[in-house]
Amino acid sequence: MIDRSYKDLLKMRRFPHTWCPGCGIGAVLKNVAMGLREMGWDYRNTVIVSGIGCSGRMGGYMNVDAVHTPHGRPLTAAEAIKTVRPDLNVVVLSGDGDLASIGGNHLLHTARRNPDITVFCNDNEIYGLTGGQAGPTTPKGTKTITSPRGEHYQPLRLNRILTTQAPYFYAKTTVYHLNHFKTCIHEALRYKGFSFVDIISDCIELNGRRLGFKTAHQMFKWFDQRFHIVEGVRDHLKDDELGIAMKEADTLPKVKVEVSEKPEVSLKDLKPFSLEELASFDGQDGKPIYIGYQGKVYDLSTSPLFQGEKRMRCHLGGKDLTQEIGIAPHGEELIFKFPIVGRLKE
Amino acid sequence: MKPRLNVLWNEIFCKRCVLCVEVCPVGVLSLERDEIVEKPGCIRCYQCERYCPDIAIEVMDEGNRLSS
Ligand SMILES: Cc1ncc(C[n+]2csc(CCOP(=O)(O)OP(=O)(O)O)c2C)c(N)n1
Ligand code: SF4
Ligand code: SF4
Ligand code: SF4
Repeated sequence: MIDRSYKDLLKMRRFPHTWCPGCGIGAVLKNVAMGLREMGWDYRNTVIVSGIGCSGRMGGYMNVDAVHTPHGRPLTAAEAIKTVRPDLNVVVLSGDGDLASIGGNHLLHTARRNPDITVFCNDNEIYGLTGGQAGPTTPKGTKTITSPRGEHYQPLRLNRILTTQAPYFYAKTTVYHLNHFKTCIHEALRYKGFSFVDIISDCIELNGRRLGFKTAHQMFKWFDQRFHIVEGVRDHLKDDELGIAMKEADTLPKVKVEVSEKPEVSLKDLKPFSLEELASFDGQDGKPIYIGYQGKVYDLSTSPLFQGEKRMRCHLGGKDLTQEIGIAPHGEELIFKFPIVGRLKE
Repeated sequence: MKPRLNVLWNEIFCKRCVLCVEVCPVGVLSLERDEIVEKPGCIRCYQCERYCPDIAIEVMDEGNRLSS
C-alpha cells in the first residue's frame, strides 16, 4: 500500500489536468504534493506561487491558497508573502523560462537575500506554452522551433549561478530519477532559507518530438544518459551531475565598531533658547526642526520622519515636548540620538 | 475506474502516454484498443503508479485484487 493522502492537496475535481500526455509537469505536481504531505503542510499553513507557462499552471491544481503572478514574477510575490507572513510556508512552482529568463533578475536577487522559500523549477529546457522556442536553459546545439539549425548560444548554468554565494541550497534532479527526486523535494522543503530544485523534465510534445523521441519514457532514458547522480552534499555540481549543493553562510570576521562615549555637555555652555525663540524653529521655510526635552534643545532635522512632505505637516517642531516624549514608549532613546544644540531658558 | 487484475485504471484521467507500459519491469501492461490492459504476472512493484503523471493508475490493495 502506498499513501495516497497527497490527493487532498490536489484539486482532483479539475483532473484530468491540461498538460500533454507524458508531460513531466504532472509528475512534478504529484511529487511536490507528496512532499508537502510528508511535511504536514496543507491549506492552513502553505501558499503556492506560480508564474506563467505550462509549468505555471501547477499552482491552479494545488488545493491550497495559490497566487498566479505575471510572467517571471513568482519570486517577488513569494518573498513579499514570506516577509509579511513569516509563519506561512511559501513554495514556488514554475518553469525554467519563467524563473531564469524573464524572471532571471528576480532569481539572482531573491537568492541573494535568502528568504525562507522553496522553489521547484520544472526545467524542460524549452519554452513550452508558447510553442517550443529555445529558452535560457536549452543546451547548445538543440534544435527548436527558433533554432532549426541548433541553438547557437551556451545555456545559463543554474548550477553555477545559484552556487556562487553562500548560503545556498541548489538541487538538481530529473523526473526519471524518482527516488532522488523525492529526496531533493524533501531536503529542499526542510531547508531554512532559499532553496532551489532544478527538475529536468520532459516537454515531449514540443521538444521531445522534434528531437526524435516518440514517448516520454524515451526522453527519460536520454536524461539517464546525460546525467548521473552524485551522493552526499556537495559544494558545487558539475553540469552532468544530479545531487544537492549546499553551503552555510561564510562566517566573516566581525568588524569591531568603536563606540565613542558622548562627552557630557554642561548645560551652562549651551546656547539658551526661550520658548518663543524655539517656536520659530518648526521646520517651515527650510529652517531646522528643534524641539525641547528636559531642559535641552535637540535638532531633529536629520530624522527621516521629518523629511520631505511630512516636514510641512509636522506640528511638533519648535515645542517643548518633555511631557509627550515621557509618555511615548522608547521616546527617550530616540531623542538622545539627535544632536543637542542648546538649552531652554528657565 | 476500471479494475484490471492488479491495477485500477482511470480511463478519464489517462492520456495514453504509455509511460506505465514502459516502466513496468515485467511488461504486463499494454495499450490495446485505446485501453490500458494487464496480463497476468504483475509483481506489485508500484512503478506504474509512481510514474503515471496523471494519477490515472493505482495498484489495488491485496484484498481487492482479482485472482489471476
Ligand atoms: C510578459 C510576457 N512575456 C511573454 C509571454 C509569453 N510566454 C508565455 S509562457 C512563456 C514561456 C514559459 O516558459 P517556461 O517557464 O519554461 O514554462 P513551460 O511552458 O516550458 O513549462 C512565454 C514566453 C507572457 N505570457 N508574458
Ligand atoms: S507543451 Fe510541453 S511543457 Fe507544455 S504541457 Fe505539453 S509537453 Fe508539457
Ligand atoms: S502512465 Fe498514466 S496516463 Fe500514461 S498511459 Fe499509463 S495510466 Fe495512462
Ligand atoms: S505494479 Fe509493477 S508489475 Fe504491476 S503492473 Fe505496475 S509496474 Fe507492472
